[in-house]
Amino acid sequence: MRIIPFPSDEPLPGQEAWTAELEAALRGESQHPDAHAWRELRDDVRALAPAMTPAFEVRLAQELERRGALEGSAEDAETRMRGQDSAGSPRRVSAGDASGSRPGAFARHRRGSWSLASHRRSAVGAAATVAVALVAALLISGSHGSGPVIESRAPTQRPPAAALNGSARASKGAASSSPSSTPASSATSGGSAASARAQASPSIAAPSATGASSAPGRVQQLAASITLGSTPQNLQATSDQVAQLTVRDGGYVQSSNVQVQQQGASEATLALRLPSARLAAALAAIGRLAPVRAESQSLQDITGAYNAAHQQLSDAEAEQRALLRALAAASTEAQIDSLHARLAASRAAIARAQSSVSSITARASTSEVEVSILGDTRAGSEGLTLHKGLHDTGQVLLVVVVAILILAAVLVPLALLVAGVARARRTWRRYQRERALNAP
Amino acid sequence: MHGYLISLLRDRSAAEDLTALAFERLYRSRLRLDRRRGTPRAWLFSIARNAALDELRQRRRRSSYDLGEDRVDDRASADALEDVERRATVLDALASLPLRERELVLLKFHGQLSNSELARALGISESNAGTRLHRALTRLREHCAEAGREEVA
Repeated sequence: MRIIPFPSDEPLPGQEAWTAELEAALRGESQHPDAHAWRELRDDVRALAPAMTPAFEVRLAQELERRGALEGSAEDAETRMRGQDSAGSPRRVSAGDASGSRPGAFARHRRGSWSLASHRRSAVGAAATVAVALVAALLISGSHGSGPVIESRAPTQRPPAAALNGSARASKGAASSSPSSTPASSATSGGSAASARAQASPSIAAPSATGASSAPGRVQQLAASITLGSTPQNLQATSDQVAQLTVRDGGYVQSSNVQVQQQGASEATLALRLPSARLAAALAAIGRLAPVRAESQSLQDITGAYNAAHQQLSDAEAEQRALLRALAAASTEAQIDSLHARLAASRAAIARAQSSVSSITARASTSEVEVSILGDTRAGSEGLTLHKGLHDTGQVLLVVVVAILILAAVLVPLALLVAGVARARRTWRRYQRERALNAP
Repeated sequence: MHGYLISLLRDRSAAEDLTALAFERLYRSRLRLDRRRGTPRAWLFSIARNAALDELRQRRRRSSYDLGEDRVDDRASADALEDVERRATVLDALASLPLRERELVLLKFHGQLSNSELARALGISESNAGTRLHRALTRLREHCAEAGREEVA
């Protein structure tokens, strides 16, 4: 029997040198006397295993070619596999091997494939993570709409008496010049249409002068309402500015109600009394304080009521003059007493008529203005500027960062747990596999 | 790889199944293949080794390296009696090795893996792979030499 000429019994060199010599010998590049022995040992070990059956080899190549793992045809793959094998070591295929291969090896394992399911699980997990992130972002952004409510009521501010008297005199003078007597009528101008325009365009211009629509020689009562958009932080300041403008224009704040929320929608309502002659200018000034959301104006003709009250006053004064003349001509005590009684009644009638005239004059000289200021977050987007854009960007980024932090607080421990379990599972599987090698 | 599997499992059918399985898994996991962590050959043999060890663990069979009928076929196809005797000696020496070392020799000679590829397939360091390979081949050489001396005696 031939003894396999293994390397000599001399001590092996260092491991690295030994490994390099072994690799060179197996590649056929070494001229060492033991190189041939290493190659022969390798060939003998490889020859101990029966070769792959041609049928299985062809089917394997076809399957790989079908899956695109190999380029070229199945025949090329078969040839390549055979050529690669012959380059490494001789292989022998027995005649009986052709029928020894079992069909269906791929089909059997294809049913048990795991990689595709793994990819699907990963995709589902990623989609779920994105969905959770979106929901968290929505929840966080939605929570900004609620907050504590701070309500404050401002006392009614009275204008200086001089301003009120001045405006009343001006209006009375204008009304006194209208001799006609027509029934009272009312008209509303610009109401819903102006509101619609204001809703469509937040940057609507200040309202025009209401007096432009009044006919000369008529006594008219004006009213207006305007809605401004602001932020909750600026709501109080805007309300104060409206009050200051009102006083500056000779009016006063009849009532005010300011409701501020830390976050979310806030509202302020102010009932103003402004001189009608200054109404247009005052509305324009108020409209410049904040974006106008809505605006409406109404006009009521009170010329008939004014003329009726004025006529009653004239009649009472004429009656008083007649009574005074009659009193001068009276000769008896009875006549004098009777005329004194009638003069007293006439003076009361004159006083009532003067009061009625003053009331109507005041209605004509003073306009009611209702100002609503909405302090919601939408106001921040009106009148877009670079500063507001940067502010909004910061807010969005803040929400995103918070959402990411919340997600990280939830997902990181979960991911660590899953990673730990997966690592333990891999370690356990590896341990189990290695145990198979420990079998005797 | 087929030779490695059939030598390790001594079962042609199982070796074919696992060969197909290894290629299929390699194809399916090709996107995760990181060439910095090892060559595709090492990756493939790592897959095949894991599948083979799972098979061994499930079957709880003792790998005695008895090739059975396949061995008879190989003998019948051998050209020279000398080769048959030499391979019988190698077979006995290989069978006397512990399964862990035998697997290392099979990976080295069937897979023609370098030490780094061996390390990747076994999940150990390269130096450890080199040490274990050195020890396994040394022991294989000793067994073969001992068998040869017994034959001479």
